Amino acid sequence: MFDITLATWQILVIKIIVILTVVPVGALVGGYAEHKVMAHLQHRLGPMYPGGFHGWATTLADGIKFLYKEDIIPAAADRKVFSLAPAAIMVPIIMTYLVIPIDRALIVEDLDVGIFYLLAVGSLSTIGLLMAGWSSANKYALIGALRSAAQLIAYELPIVLAAVVVAMLAGSLSLIDIVETQNWPFAIWPPGIGFIAFLLFTVGAVAEMTRVPFDMPVAESEIITGPFTEYSGMRYIFAHMFAEMGHMVAFGGIGATLFLGGYQPIVPIPFLDFIPGVIWFSAKTMFMIFLFLWIRPTFPRVREDQLQKFAWKFLIPVGLALVLVTGAWVLYV
Amino acid sequence: MAVDEHRAPRTTESDDARRLVKARRPGFGIGLLKGMAVTLKHLFKHNTVIQYPDEKQDLSSRTRGVIALKEENCTVCMLCARECPDWCIYIDSHKETLAPKREGGRPRKRNILDRFAIDYALCMYCGICVEVCPYDALFWSREFEYAEYDIRELTHEKEKLSDWMASVLPPPALEEGAEYPGSPTRAPEVADGAAAPVKPVQAEASDAAAGTPERRGAQAAPLGTGGRPADAGAPKEAKPDVGPVPGRQAEAAPAPEGAEPAAAEAPPVQEEEQQAAPSQEQAPGPEPTAEDHAGPGGRTETASPEVLGIQMGAEPASPSPRESTETPSPEVLGIQMGGGPAPSPGAGEDAVGAPEEAETRTPQEGPDPEEVARLQETPGPNVEVPNEEPKPTALDPTEDPKEVYEAVLSDQLAKGSSPEVAEARAKVARVKAERGIARNPGVATKEDS
Ligand code: SF4
Ligand code: SF4
Repeated sequence: MFDITLATWQILVIKIIVILTVVPVGALVGGYAEHKVMAHLQHRLGPMYPGGFHGWATTLADGIKFLYKEDIIPAAADRKVFSLAPAAIMVPIIMTYLVIPIDRALIVEDLDVGIFYLLAVGSLSTIGLLMAGWSSANKYALIGALRSAAQLIAYELPIVLAAVVVAMLAGSLSLIDIVETQNWPFAIWPPGIGFIAFLLFTVGAVAEMTRVPFDMPVAESEIITGPFTEYSGMRYIFAHMFAEMGHMVAFGGIGATLFLGGYQPIVPIPFLDFIPGVIWFSAKTMFMIFLFLWIRPTFPRVREDQLQKFAWKFLIPVGLALVLVTGAWVLYV
Repeated sequence: MAVDEHRAPRTTESDDARRLVKARRPGFGIGLLKGMAVTLKHLFKHNTVIQYPDEKQDLSSRTRGVIALKEENCTVCMLCARECPDWCIYIDSHKETLAPKREGGRPRKRNILDRFAIDYALCMYCGICVEVCPYDALFWSREFEYAEYDIRELTHEKEKLSDWMASVLPPPALEEGAEYPGSPTRAPEVADGAAAPVKPVQAEASDAAAGTPERRGAQAAPLGTGGRPADAGAPKEAKPDVGPVPGRQAEAAPAPEGAEPAAAEAPPVQEEEQQAAPSQEQAPGPEPTAEDHAGPGGRTETASPEVLGIQMGAEPASPSPRESTETPSPEVLGIQMGGGPAPSPGAGEDAVGAPEEAETRTPQEGPDPEEVARLQETPGPNVEVPNEEPKPTALDPTEDPKEVYEAVLSDQLAKGSSPEVAEARAKVARVKAERGIARNPGVATKEDS
């Protein structure tokens, strides 16, 4: 298609630039969507003024506002760790974008171990959260960080099990291969198995993002946004707002790729092929994001012990059983 | 051991609880889906948010926004300031002496309002001041945007309070079927003639269900005198301009009389009127004159119960208009209920009959369903008047009504009565002349002039 030959480093630079714009833009749009969707789910209007038309510039204005804020580092804090923590949270989230296929050719890096990479990178954020909580020298931050760590570990497992199911069905760890095998999205076919895996993944993802109803670690009403109690200004934006929104968009993309057939049409009808894969992928990602946003105003926060029990006593056994069933399905069907 | 004993009941308890929970939930996760459906429904519902500074809500007409002052109406009676639970109304005034009304009279004093301020930082919007003001000087306005940056600036003076008068809504129209204050059977010209005579019946019937009709009568009677703020939906605006009201009512009185020649087929309302008239005649004792009952002070101007009494064909009971305004005298009540004069000590037997009838008609224990049905069926005055042939009352007019009218009018004007009062009294005199009722010697007659 293109006759331009680029040196490897040039391609790398372009890819980096693309990713570094996609992530913040995704976060801004996700933030705006969160404001508006949540508002309408709650029978409100949400922001209406910034930017003129239905408050489209709300998140932009928010970001600029945070730029002006003072960056405060508590006297008792461990300065280096404290200032590095937002990066430790943000970088793994950006890294997840690298392997998500937006279209057949539109992927930063098609790794053979795509799923493995996703899961490995995804769990790195925990370290950033612990760094933030520990270095803040604040008991609420510490409690929040420990809760976060416990929760991320607990809900990492259902996600892993759901991903294992997908990998078994596709017979590959490469995300491109996984998408290509989904003539019917895994959430629909094989019946039951894919859908349960999808539910496991969704619940796990919501918990990973520490969103309602699993937002015990940030619980703003009792431990004041958990690990980020002491953060302000731009650091807060990176550690919390951007991280949450970036996370949400990333999980939306992952869910769309693993369970909804990524850039493939939702049903295998030939004439649907004229719609470009980018649009299919975006639509599915938006659906996933809407799902996350829909859950938020609907459910109340669960208690810490309920949250742990739910993961260890329910989700993980279900996931394990599902792996067994999938094995049987792959072998005998 | 102790631990086991302690544990045993606890497990059963939680088992019970679990069983209960199980019994209550139809299936795993159904509740979650239901919750999701609820929020999703709201996503597609029409949004009712009002974007305040751009759009304004259409507030209810009863909104307690701010208290507005109609300065002209305030007589500096201080009732509002005294009744205010927060003592946040500040009133200053001075007295002015006016020339006596007529020669040889006392010079009159009048209060002039210098300052009227309400501290809205203290006010709790209880509305007591609005309720208590006897002269309809205070009103609720829907205005609510009067926040200030300094708490001291929340004390608003009478200029500001008067400005808010512009935003006071006219009183709402009477409810469907509402009784026109003052007269259940006859509406003054202000109310639509068509609506009034029919509706009161229903109002009365439903009223009987709500409580004793006497109470209703007691409530309605003072309203008719025009001096008190209306309780529910009386035309508030009309009353503050005290003057025309009595005049209008007095005017209303002779109107049915004009139809007297055709009395045979006249509706019961007029029959009642005519019945009342002879009883007036028979009633012994000094005939009250308009002059005698002019009443103290400024109250002359508001319609006194006398005026009402004459209008209804009853004899006034208490000489103090103020008193009778507060607690309706049995006479007034009698008019309400029976349409005839009530038993005052000197009243004739003829008069006694009517209220008795009213009593039997309105049992204390509650409404008779049959009667309610009957009342709803046959619209008309709430009390059945015996269907008698009207007796001719105007036997032989001794004086020419027109002349009497002119004479009394000029006489009253000469004495310093306001034009409205003079007119009212002249009309009363004319009615009496038409009916051949001897007027009190105290009143200027044709012979006198
Ligand atoms: S509304 Fe109540 S508190 Fe306010 S001025 Fe009137 S009487 Fe006082
Ligand atoms: S009660 Fe009414 S008339 Fe009396 S002082 Fe207050 S506002 Fe004026």
